Amino acid sequence: MTAGQYRQALADLVAEVSEGAIGAEEALAGERSLSALGLTSVARVRLVDAIEDTFGVEVGLGGDWASLESVDALAALVSRAAEPGDRTTAGA
Amino acid sequence: MTTPEGSPARGAGATVEFHGAREGEATLTWGQRLIWRAVHLMGDSQSFLNCPWVLPVYGRRDLATVLDTLRVLIERHETLRTTFHGTPDGPVQRVRRDGRLTVDLVEAGEERALRVAERISGELSTTAFVHDRELPLRCAAVLKAGRPMALALTFSHLAVDFQALSLLSEEWKVLLRGEEPPPADWHPMDQAALEREESFQARSARSIRYWRAVLEEAPLDVFDHPPGAPEDPRFIEVGMESVALAAAAETLAERWTISTTSVLLGACATVLATVSGRTKAVMQLVHSNRRDPRTRTMIGNVGQDGLFVLDPPSEGFADACREAHRAAFTAYRNAHYDPFAMQAMREDIGRRRGREPDLDAFFNDRRTIGTWPGVPRPAAGEIAGESLADLTAKTRTYVTNAWPGVRFKAFFTVGAATDTGQLSLIADTAYLPLETARAMLLGVEALLVRALDEDVPLAAVPRVCGVGPYAGTV
Repeated sequence: MTAGQYRQALADLVAEVSEGAIGAEEALAGERSLSALGLTSVARVRLVDAIEDTFGVEVGLGGDWASLESVDALAALVSRAAEPGDRTTAGA
Repeated sequence: MTTPEGSPARGAGATVEFHGAREGEATLTWGQRLIWRAVHLMGDSQSFLNCPWVLPVYGRRDLATVLDTLRVLIERHETLRTTFHGTPDGPVQRVRRDGRLTVDLVEAGEERALRVAERISGELSTTAFVHDRELPLRCAAVLKAGRPMALALTFSHLAVDFQALSLLSEEWKVLLRGEEPPPADWHPMDQAALEREESFQARSARSIRYWRAVLEEAPLDVFDHPPGAPEDPRFIEVGMESVALAAAAETLAERWTISTTSVLLGACATVLATVSGRTKAVMQLVHSNRRDPRTRTMIGNVGQDGLFVLDPPSEGFADACREAHRAAFTAYRNAHYDPFAMQAMREDIGRRRGREPDLDAFFNDRRTIGTWPGVPRPAAGEIAGESLADLTAKTRTYVTNAWPGVRFKAFFTVGAATDTGQLSLIADTAYLPLETARAMLLGVEALLVRALDEDVPLAAVPRVCGVGPYAGTV
């Protein structure tokens, strides 16, 4: 998967878990944090679940909250975790 | 049957006969297991868990149409045809294919039909369900001059949660219009099978690891002071209706880019920590837990509790609320577990520490949307605390719903009203006298209103809120 494909897939997941409250385009634009766009704590949990199910990685907790605040940061996190031979835990 | 003139009159019942598509038996879902345990812990007080609900009849419909629509609901949703049984191998759910539900017919008389329906649904809720023999719903049709105006219902919490009830209400409207709702193809028996899969078991194990880490350190009690002489009744619910609370929460949420839930949770946890004389607060969060897309529209009970720890990172209330937002995420993320495995872990903690931490402080946001559309907003810019002074003068508090035997020490609930901020606190008066509970609610309002104008130092919270550490004596 290319970086662009990761970003698009993650933006689509953001739109899905927020039940349309946040558009994929808005999420991709990255001008505002996902919290500022209205991603609730519950929707963020759905997002992390969906990331784990879709990409087969485990998103770790504790650490840098900013990794969960933009599509770019999420894409970096997922692509690191999904690299062959790399660890499968994405530290967030 | 004679009744005083103008009061509701109960007539003969009607029968709804249903024939569903599937029957079967399965283990309980995680959501059902949680309630199963609560039902057995609460014994005679378990009627507290019943879920009263009213389905208004939209438009002019005859009784046969209304009862037929109820039949369709019961046939579509297996949870409404389910009984719950203890077996030597653990509790199970049994879905019936066929059966009958008796519906009382009640003439509203002079009273407003919806008011009668609300009252009857409350009355139907006062008796515990016999879970292994009784369908998980009871129903009365409220009539006005013979025409059905509403169904008054109560449900077993083993069968539904409040999200499920909201979904049922939507479906009820669609069906009454004669339209076809989307197929109901995911039921608690399917959910129970999903929860046995490896990925769900791994999430359960991770959640239990998180809870264990918290429980190894958490205070054993919500309050350090010994219980005093309780008031009568011992458990009370103090309610508050405050437009100022809602207006302040919306403004602060926007300013701090967090949800209104996190603002209210941060404020409630801060006030609880203050009253308990601690810097940290540990609370359980009631969580709808509809995370998986298949589960999202299921009529069933999916709710599980999250474990929330607020450990403020600085001396300011704004940071405490931002931290509450992160901590709520962590709590929700780890609210996905098998309650029976969780219980085994908690018992292990109990053996190590002498007893389990009581965890009897709760927070529940019952709203389905994160704003209050009926609350007026300023034409431009942010609202200021000063401008809410008139509104806080209109805030009212009241004491409501006192149940014997519930075991919460402090249970905050954000109500679903959209035109005012509803916040209530169920308190165990052996630990929190009525007036302290009332002061805590008003303290949450005062804290949020003050936070509009300054970042309230946590050290100033007792002064701002008018409520300080409570040591067991007034």
